[in-house]
Amino acid sequence: MRAIQYLRLALLALTLALAVLIRPSALRAHEAAMGVLEFREVRPGAFVGRWSIEPSIGASRVDLRVPPHCFLRLPEMNCGAKGLVGPITITNLGSNMSVVLIKVVPIEGEPRSYTISTANPVVSVLGTGAPTLEVWLELARTYVNYGIDHILLGADHLLFVLGLIWIVGGGWRLVKTITAFTIGHSASLAAAAFGLIGVPERPLNACIALSIAFVGVEIVKQQRGEIGLTARYPWIVAFSFGLVHGIGFASALAGLGLERRLLPAALLFFNIGVEIGQLAFVLLVLALIWAHRRLDAVVPRWGEALPAYLIGSVSMFWFFGRLARVFAVI
Amino acid sequence: MKLNSARLLIATAMLLAGGSAAEAHIVAARLGDFYMGVVHPLTDLQDVVLWTATGVLAGTLGAAKGRWLIAVFPLGLLFGLLLGQVFGAASTQLADAAMMLAIGLLLAAAAQVPTVLLCAMAFAVAVIRGAANGADLAPETDRLLFAAGLTCVGYAAITLTMALTAVFKRTSSDSATSWRAIAVRALGGWIAAIGLMMASLALAT
Amino acid sequence: MSLRLPLPLMTAIVSSALMQPVFAHEQAGVAGGLASGLLHPVTGIDHLIAMVAVGIWGAQLGAPAIWILPITFPLVMAIGGVLGVLHVPLPMPEVMIAVSAVILGIAVAARLRLPFAAAAIVVAMFAIFHGHAHGAELPRAANALAYGVGFVTATGLLHLCGIAIGTLTRWPAGERLIQGLGAGIAAIGCYFLAQGVGAFA
Repeated sequence: MRAIQYLRLALLALTLALAVLIRPSALRAHEAAMGVLEFREVRPGAFVGRWSIEPSIGASRVDLRVPPHCFLRLPEMNCGAKGLVGPITITNLGSNMSVVLIKVVPIEGEPRSYTISTANPVVSVLGTGAPTLEVWLELARTYVNYGIDHILLGADHLLFVLGLIWIVGGGWRLVKTITAFTIGHSASLAAAAFGLIGVPERPLNACIALSIAFVGVEIVKQQRGEIGLTARYPWIVAFSFGLVHGIGFASALAGLGLERRLLPAALLFFNIGVEIGQLAFVLLVLALIWAHRRLDAVVPRWGEALPAYLIGSVSMFWFFGRLARVFAVI
Repeated sequence: MKLNSARLLIATAMLLAGGSAAEAHIVAARLGDFYMGVVHPLTDLQDVVLWTATGVLAGTLGAAKGRWLIAVFPLGLLFGLLLGQVFGAASTQLADAAMMLAIGLLLAAAAQVPTVLLCAMAFAVAVIRGAANGADLAPETDRLLFAAGLTCVGYAAITLTMALTAVFKRTSSDSATSWRAIAVRALGGWIAAIGLMMASLALAT
Repeated sequence: MSLRLPLPLMTAIVSSALMQPVFAHEQAGVAGGLASGLLHPVTGIDHLIAMVAVGIWGAQLGAPAIWILPITFPLVMAIGGVLGVLHVPLPMPEVMIAVSAVILGIAVAARLRLPFAAAAIVVAMFAIFHGHAHGAELPRAANALAYGVGFVTATGLLHLCGIAIGTLTRWPAGERLIQGLGAGIAAIGCYFLAQGVGAFA
């Protein structure tokens, strides 16, 4: 069993490094550097484009490419009789500008929104008809990728999952626990995305940090021989904290302003992406656990309690940082 | 346990398949500099060959010797990255080739390398590769994140390679001429040959 | 914390890679080097048959040749390759390569049982000549490591093919077949030898 301890220590050191270091630039998926560009149709085929939110690098430096039959010189764009149909892309997306939302407001019909991100630098603008297969594929590609990015950059979510694996160990219990976490965050993600529940983002983030601290405490309890709540009912804990984390996922999705009719599908694909990323992480951790057992790499006795305290410290560090933001707003 | 090994194999295959085709700089634009540090060595043939060679050598020597590398290798990468930043980049091709040749020969000879020597060699490989990985960083790259990513992937790759090799070779219970032992030694011979070819090409140009 | 790229992500990356060549990594020569290294040993018929013959002969000789050869053979080839790259001249390389095919073919056909040391020296000498030829013809532009990986892998695989064929000796019919194969190899070697000598005359 001490082999696992050692491995956990190593894993933890990794996740901690990730967690502490990744915050400023990598958590940008949560607080995206966004731009919003609106195209309003003034007569059939002719649009007026306007940045309603300018990207941080400045609107003039965005390299926007529109379908070849369209003539673009902001604020005007003329697409002729064919209308605005075809690929729109931004070639110079990077760390300064990760997401640009393009809103198209036609004379007739509902306004539509398209998201261009580094994950998905090209979007196809569609006609006003019913969504075709191509639309669905495009949507799937965009949102599965976005979900994967989101979980891979969410150091707090990954740290929580690591804590769960730590307490539960492997096997069936882990499968059940991770499933419970998944169900929890899917449910609240859906609820938040459809506007059934609304939680302000900053206090929520503080709560997420607190949930990780809770897991840290549970690990210490377990090491002292006490049977904590998580060890006894891992799925209940995983489910309830999953609810909290899910609302956090939703806030990432909310900023992208989706067309109402496509929202359920986008939500589904985003969730699939999150699960793919989470599963990859869990499998990697399990593979490393296996490798450490195999190599019989054990932790010295003095170091046993260290990981839990590290988890706790990092999460409390986050908690206070996020708490400070809550009050800065109020 | 069986299930875990299967998972591990799949994971490793995915890791290799995914890495080789990926472009590290695109990953950076998308997922940030931490993941750039993770993917960068996986897209570099020098790293793939040398890391595999080091991991396999340590794995064949058994868990007692190999497990030191779990710490030594990532630390070496970090140190190499630091050295590269301080002293500027130099071409590592000849050093890479020499390390390939040395490790390959040790593997082919099925030599019982002492722990200290093993650690020293792994550290040397890590320092060389760490410096090489840091050589072509763009100025806007976050060095700290890149270093963290590189260290993490170094740890994971070396640990998994050692464990897989240890499982494959089944350590001491096998005789020196079982097909598994021969396969590992042949791999060593091939790696040494690659190192030799590379050294001569580096010298010739 | 390795990144395991899932399929959609891979597709996305590959597609964006195709769209944006500016991002190309500095290892652009890898694919080319790998391909030329892999193809080089299998494109010349004289090389190819000699490699396979070495494997078959090793299998016929049995232990220890059958397991020492795969370990050392690519290494000795590489030594020859180094000589070739550095343009160290060897006497009559074309003829020696053809001769190697003839002799190895005859050895297989006749089930020649040399002592291991003698066999090793013969094989090593031929291996150096083959490696030399490959090294001398090396494309300069290729990525050195990628070429090496491709070259060694192709050589090793050819060799393993030979060993696999050689295991047919366990059955009497298989043994006939192999002897026939050896004779064929020797014949092809003779053709190349005639060509090589003709070139000299």
